[in-house]
Amino acid sequence: MTGLFAEIQAVAGRYPEPKSAVLPALRLAQEHYGHLTPEALREVASALGTTPAYCRGIASFYDMFHLAPVGEHMIDVCTNASCALVGAAQVLEAFERELGIRAGETTPDGRITLRSAECLGGCGSGTVVSIDERYRQPVKPEDVPAIVEELRRG
Amino acid sequence: MSAPELVGGSAADRERIAHELVTVTIDGRQVQVPKGTGLVEAAAAAGVEIPVFCYEPRVGAGIGACRMCLVEIEGMPKLQTGCTTPVTDGMVVHTAGTSEQAAAGQSATMEFLLLNHPLDCPVCDKGGECALQDLSFRYGSGKTRMTFRKRSLEKPIPISPTIALDRERCIMCFRCTRFSQEVAQDEELSAVNRGALSMIATFEDEPYRGPFSGNVTELCPVGALTSTQYRFKARPWEYEQAASVCGLCPVGCNVAVQSREGRVQRVLSRNHPEVDRGWLCDKGRFSYSHLYSEERILTPRRRGVRELEELGWEQALDELEGMIERAQGEVVLALSGSETLELAYALAKIVRQGAGSDRVVLPEQAADALDPFRVPISALAEAEEIVVFEECPVLDRAPLIELWLKQARRNGAHVTRIGPSGDIQRGRGEAALACQELAEKESALGKRLRAAERAILLWSGGGGAGGCHLAALAHALGLHEKEGSGALLLPASPNARGVAEAWAAAGDENRQPRQIGLLVVSGDEAASEPQVRQLAEHARATVALTLFAGDSGEWADLVLPATGYLERSGTMRNLEGRLQRLRGATGSPARRELSWLAELAGRLGVDLPGSEAALFTELSAKVLDGISLASLGDRAPLPPRVEAQTFEAARAESPPTLLGGPLELIRYRALFSGPEVEHVPELSFQRPAAEVEISPEDADRRGISGGNEVVVRSNGTRVTLRARINAALLPGMVRVAAEHCAELARGVEVSRP
Repeated sequence: MTGLFAEIQAVAGRYPEPKSAVLPALRLAQEHYGHLTPEALREVASALGTTPAYCRGIASFYDMFHLAPVGEHMIDVCTNASCALVGAAQVLEAFERELGIRAGETTPDGRITLRSAECLGGCGSGTVVSIDERYRQPVKPEDVPAIVEELRRG
Repeated sequence: MSAPELVGGSAADRERIAHELVTVTIDGRQVQVPKGTGLVEAAAAAGVEIPVFCYEPRVGAGIGACRMCLVEIEGMPKLQTGCTTPVTDGMVVHTAGTSEQAAAGQSATMEFLLLNHPLDCPVCDKGGECALQDLSFRYGSGKTRMTFRKRSLEKPIPISPTIALDRERCIMCFRCTRFSQEVAQDEELSAVNRGALSMIATFEDEPYRGPFSGNVTELCPVGALTSTQYRFKARPWEYEQAASVCGLCPVGCNVAVQSREGRVQRVLSRNHPEVDRGWLCDKGRFSYSHLYSEERILTPRRRGVRELEELGWEQALDELEGMIERAQGEVVLALSGSETLELAYALAKIVRQGAGSDRVVLPEQAADALDPFRVPISALAEAEEIVVFEECPVLDRAPLIELWLKQARRNGAHVTRIGPSGDIQRGRGEAALACQELAEKESALGKRLRAAERAILLWSGGGGAGGCHLAALAHALGLHEKEGSGALLLPASPNARGVAEAWAAAGDENRQPRQIGLLVVSGDEAASEPQVRQLAEHARATVALTLFAGDSGEWADLVLPATGYLERSGTMRNLEGRLQRLRGATGSPARRELSWLAELAGRLGVDLPGSEAALFTELSAKVLDGISLASLGDRAPLPPRVEAQTFEAARAESPPTLLGGPLELIRYRALFSGPEVEHVPELSFQRPAAEVEISPEDADRRGISGGNEVVVRSNGTRVTLRARINAALLPGMVRVAAEHCAELARGVEVSRP
């Protein structure tokens, strides 16, 4: 039994139904494995007394769960309506140019993953970019090189 | 029309609400329905159809996924989904039939549903019985505005050897995933991704293993989930359909057997709401292809010099007649319990009246002691307290009962299982003792059972006396005085009680031959019984009536081809005591038993009619109180309870001492086993693994971990199996599926090789 298994069970203990702990449990597993591998999903399922199919159904719904490997850093560029109006497409393009990859890809050195995201809830000052789950806003295309440089040094 | 079904809430809530009526107006028609009724049902009661795809009350309350049921409700600004809206008093509803707004909404929904749906109806198995096809014909525009390419995906994907998934056709109604999560509760089928990318999937490449998986092929309103066995075999309008009953377990699910050109093409549910609620297990649904196995014997065979040789029917009957003569009254009949009453009666008559013998080997008996506590199976869903004496898993014996237990738990019932791996752990042979304890005044569970308005006891395995123990307990708890309370026994064979009745009807003498001149073995199940095999060794001659020559071929002198349960007409008595009609599918490659039995009876001077109906009339006059075949109808009624007698507290016998080793071997017949399943290649992935289940304590003590290869031995028999740790299993016991037990005795030792 791994530490993760016990950790998940402890979280599950806070809910009347162990299955209700599926989101925090998946989160713990992702932190442990880097992304939700089939083994990670099996482990979550067995700790919660459910099936890996159920866990994958939940995990695949949410963007913040990763079913495939991702880079050490995660850049999410909002491309939804409000940000699109203030140039999100150009911001995303700037990231693609700077990183040499397309949205949805990871740099060959495995350091950085770039994604386009749906509304991140910061519509007041777009474009919103989430970097490792911390918001930068507003981001203009000309801010991008410095941000990438910071992450590469990081 | 029957009362609309209310979904959710406790039984008591539903009862209270059902008495209050509300008035609603739908398309100008006023109707009164019980408060809480769904709009779809209320409309149906008013004679108005609200079309649906995703809504299926049997998988739970409506979820409004497909939007096909959009209606206009006065006072609400936007269209509402009928399937998620309970009616309220004074509600005025306009469906697409009378409201332009609703019609426009519905037509837009239809357009969206067809956006990516391929136009492959001519090659789709669902064609002709497809909800999408029917409703687009009625509500669709007939023209498409979509000029771009439709989505194309890999297809068909085998989500199990029995089910194919075509994701292009899927309209994401979630019926299948809800069945998997809510009804079967296997959670093996789920929806992955989100929005337009959503799709149905199992985990990785793992097959959908749940024992009820096949129901999703019937639930799917389009051709997305189809049966691989049935793929491209036939069209729904080409069938001849027989309204029959499944003969594989004592539940007796009502089935529609559909055949084309004399061959069974598929088995569907025929929904008896008190028995199966429209569900089937995969054994019942997919086993039919055993009838066309190459290993099935279709002509009589006689033991030759080296092996079995074929012979004609005339010769075979000469042979059998000679065997009966030479046995000089020392004939023993071994019945499987899978025979219809009529077939068992015909065999019994020949043995008792033609061969002059009265000895029979009956399957594990189901006594009539529980008749005062009779309840329909469906009463489980409404029960508050259910206690299962579960020496053999309910799922293996009577799979549908397991689904009813899940439904009961979903409705708020307490389900307590008592057995080797139950909530209350009890060893084998201790169920009777547990019964006595519950009957005592101070038992906590017993008190709950007494207090409950609806309490049901179930007995699964543990010997033929189970009925008496259970009856004594049920009587002590006063269950005969409460409607919706009762007790049911799950026998090991489909028609155990029926064949015992049939045997009794054919004679009343009791002449026990001291030797066995001739052993008559009916059915593959009996032929595979170790006890019957032993008798065969002592018999001077043996005749077997079987579908396959696998077991009987090794020792029988004469093997006569049997017909399968899907080919037989007649009656069977299920575990509730319900007498149900089987109607044989058209055509059988083997000769009907009753035809040659009548011929044989003629030679022996026994008066035996050759038709099932005439046999039933005879039987009915003798043991069934003269009821008529017609009174059983298509969905047979449950006979009324009989008057309760006083019960002697049954004596619980102590379990026999173990010989051969310290661990008690539980040899069980797994659900996916038996002569039919063994001849269906698509079900081979469900067959029980060659493993031994062992408790963590016993495993630790022997240095065994899960997945290890271990040797199970007793009295010189050694079997190599894989160990599986079962944390729920009582220490001191191990479980092995019967087909992997070989000749192991009851006491065994397990060790690393």
